[in-house]
Amino acid sequence: MKRIVVIGGGLAGLVAATKLAGGGSSVTLVSEGLGGLQLSQGTIDVYGYNPGRVRAPMAAVAGAPAVHPYARIGTSAVRDGVAFLQDALGTGWLVGDPEVNLQLPTALGVLRPTALVPPSMAAGQAQAGQRWAIVGFRQLKDFGAELVAGNLARAELSRGGRIEARPIVLDLPPRSGESDASGLVYARAFDDPAFRERVVAALRPLLDGETAVGFPAVLGLTDPEAWTALRDALGVPVFEIPLPPPGIPGMRLGRRLTAVAKQRGVRFLAGSRAIGHEADGLRLTGVVVGTAATPRRLRADDVVYAPGGFESGAITVDSRWGIRERLFGLPLAGLDDIDRLITDEYWDDPQSVFSVGVGVDAAMRPVRSDGSVVYENLFAIGGILAGACRWREKSGEGIALGSAMAACRAIEAG
Amino acid sequence: MDDLLGLVGHAEARASLDHCLKCTICETQCPVAAVTPLFPGPKYVGPQAERFRADGSVDHSVDYCSGCGTCTLSCPQGVKIAELNSQARAAMKADHMTVRDRIITQTIAMGKLMTPVAPLANAALRVRPLRVAVEATLGIHRDAPMPKATSQTFMAWFRKRPVPSAPAPRGPVVFFHGCAGGYFEVETSKMTVEVLEHLGYRVVVPEQGCCGLAQQSNGLFEQATAAVLALCDRLRSAGSDLPIISSSGSCTGMLKHEAREIMGVSSEALRDVGLRIRDTMEFLRELHEANALDTSFRRQDTTVVYHAPCQLKGQAMGLPAIDVLSLIPGVTIVESEVACCGMAGTYGLKKEKHAVAQAVGEPLFTLIRDAAPELVLCDTETCRWQIREATGLPVEHPISLVHRAYGLSATRARRADPGAPSGA
Repeated sequence: MKRIVVIGGGLAGLVAATKLAGGGSSVTLVSEGLGGLQLSQGTIDVYGYNPGRVRAPMAAVAGAPAVHPYARIGTSAVRDGVAFLQDALGTGWLVGDPEVNLQLPTALGVLRPTALVPPSMAAGQAQAGQRWAIVGFRQLKDFGAELVAGNLARAELSRGGRIEARPIVLDLPPRSGESDASGLVYARAFDDPAFRERVVAALRPLLDGETAVGFPAVLGLTDPEAWTALRDALGVPVFEIPLPPPGIPGMRLGRRLTAVAKQRGVRFLAGSRAIGHEADGLRLTGVVVGTAATPRRLRADDVVYAPGGFESGAITVDSRWGIRERLFGLPLAGLDDIDRLITDEYWDDPQSVFSVGVGVDAAMRPVRSDGSVVYENLFAIGGILAGACRWREKSGEGIALGSAMAACRAIEAG
Repeated sequence: MDDLLGLVGHAEARASLDHCLKCTICETQCPVAAVTPLFPGPKYVGPQAERFRADGSVDHSVDYCSGCGTCTLSCPQGVKIAELNSQARAAMKADHMTVRDRIITQTIAMGKLMTPVAPLANAALRVRPLRVAVEATLGIHRDAPMPKATSQTFMAWFRKRPVPSAPAPRGPVVFFHGCAGGYFEVETSKMTVEVLEHLGYRVVVPEQGCCGLAQQSNGLFEQATAAVLALCDRLRSAGSDLPIISSSGSCTGMLKHEAREIMGVSSEALRDVGLRIRDTMEFLRELHEANALDTSFRRQDTTVVYHAPCQLKGQAMGLPAIDVLSLIPGVTIVESEVACCGMAGTYGLKKEKHAVAQAVGEPLFTLIRDAAPELVLCDTETCRWQIREATGLPVEHPISLVHRAYGLSATRARRADPGAPSGA
């Protein structure tokens, strides 16, 4: 049985670990803290902008520029990754199609392209002629129903036509006396049928034949039936609009995926920071992790490295523009024009520093600029890969899933 | 630089706070903030409030932090959130430490007082008017779980039992029993010794004291530092380079990292003990990884709920109990996946925190009641008291199942009653 160490507990690491454990390997997932799914919107972005708005994400993946991770990952690994995730989560977790982008409202009231979404968001697919009520709560920060409805109502849809949208703000604290609650506190309140009844009682008299009702994405944290119960009680389609972190739909996805990973035998080393590695020539033999007081050596036949990029500290920048990969000291790609990595035009030009990362071969093994492999059995996946500005492109989950699949194929064939 | 709170460990923990991205992951995982608005959450009272602290001026809501450490464990940026909160609480309480918080940290005194009069002490703790009076005068909640005294301490058992006749080819190991393992959870200590001896070790038990964890979590850093350093000297007196094994999951955490990270204790003795000490299940797992664990376990057809205590998870070693118990044929393990049982050391004993502690533990209690297992397993003592009190089920250290699967429980039963049937 192969011993595999996966470093990183975000989408890429969880999916790779789940796939490899399901294939019969002994998998240990090391993660310093919880992974990025906790902060995500719970949607699967494959390709949203390149730089114009993308309608057919897989076609955009096929046409990705040579420096982009998708050029190495390829379309079949992305398709397999999305299918694997949908299958692993089970029915009722993600709907949509990687071939076609949906257009869903954000918490600022603009339409965002994304490929797969939780069923609780599906009714938010924008179409001309719809009449929406956008429901907010006076005590919920980070969600202005007036802002969402106002921006939606004044924009012409890209294929013509408009959506009618109006705000409804309920004065309903999630816990008695709480006046400045996060989405998390509301999500826990929505798990309680009694709170949902109060929402329905307050809201129903205010509705006026809308085609759908949009809520902030707080419709239940642990109860998967919370949003359908609300929909059925209101008698109108409802949809969730993601908020800034804590991202409730991302938390649901993360919990579910973690549970599936455990079912398939993945061992979790939570709170452990990978601090070193052991190698014999071109092969890694182990990873050293920091536990309380003592370092611990995990032997490994293969290592999957899914630590994220700058945002998680896997890639660091010092005050003299020294940019480094923290754990293995991997060579970085995208540093050619180092003086222009950050531009003064904060909101306009792409900040190319965010495309700096690890270059890989088709098996997702880190390579040097001459194409030679650093370690034969080290596979880098997800946000650490060079060549993509993930949040600008809306490509983060597609890269995570596709690179995880490409690495798993290489490991399972090896 | 002079430290703002005048605490040794504070400067180091404070240095981590600029790593906070305000990402909210700790907020989502905090079991206390989930059940009460009295605690605004680890990010608010931790890295956020820390920026405003000077000369000990701290907000009082930090006192509702139970110190379970779930925030630090879940932080992807390495911010020492729980440690900052423990330090802020210590600074806040410094000039008005309650009698209650001094008394409940005297774990050895409690054991010494109760053991000689165990039946009487146990009975007294069930007397309602007495508990009501204790709540009114001391602030220890009338329904808070209390330890059950035994008539013989572990130390007396270890001294008086027949000297083991089997050879010990693997040489000596030091056993650290902890206060609760010495006076209250005596069976856990006995079973640990018997398992270690079964594996071929000679168990050495030096005279030892308290690790100071209860004092630390109540903000009595000076006393706790003295206690932990004295303990390190005693554990080291048994021999250098020997592994130190303990079935007291939280005391092990104190020696491994909490004394250093929360109180800033930096001594060679502590570093040495921290490197050598292993949680019992962690030790067994290391043996197995080195292909040196006897895995001839007898089949145990049973379903158990395993709850990993917060202070064990904080040691960042994964869940060694599950790794080891999975080797026993027939055992089905239901992992609780609940952050904390609510007790968090002495938090759940306190009058003003008891309701919060019960609410924190409720998801765990519900899970256990629904699973209705034959046995609940948990590595730390006060958590076992809390879960026993709430569910009425037997709650034991994971070593008990290992003990049974090696046939040692049957051996002991036969020794006590030669007519008893063999087999586990």
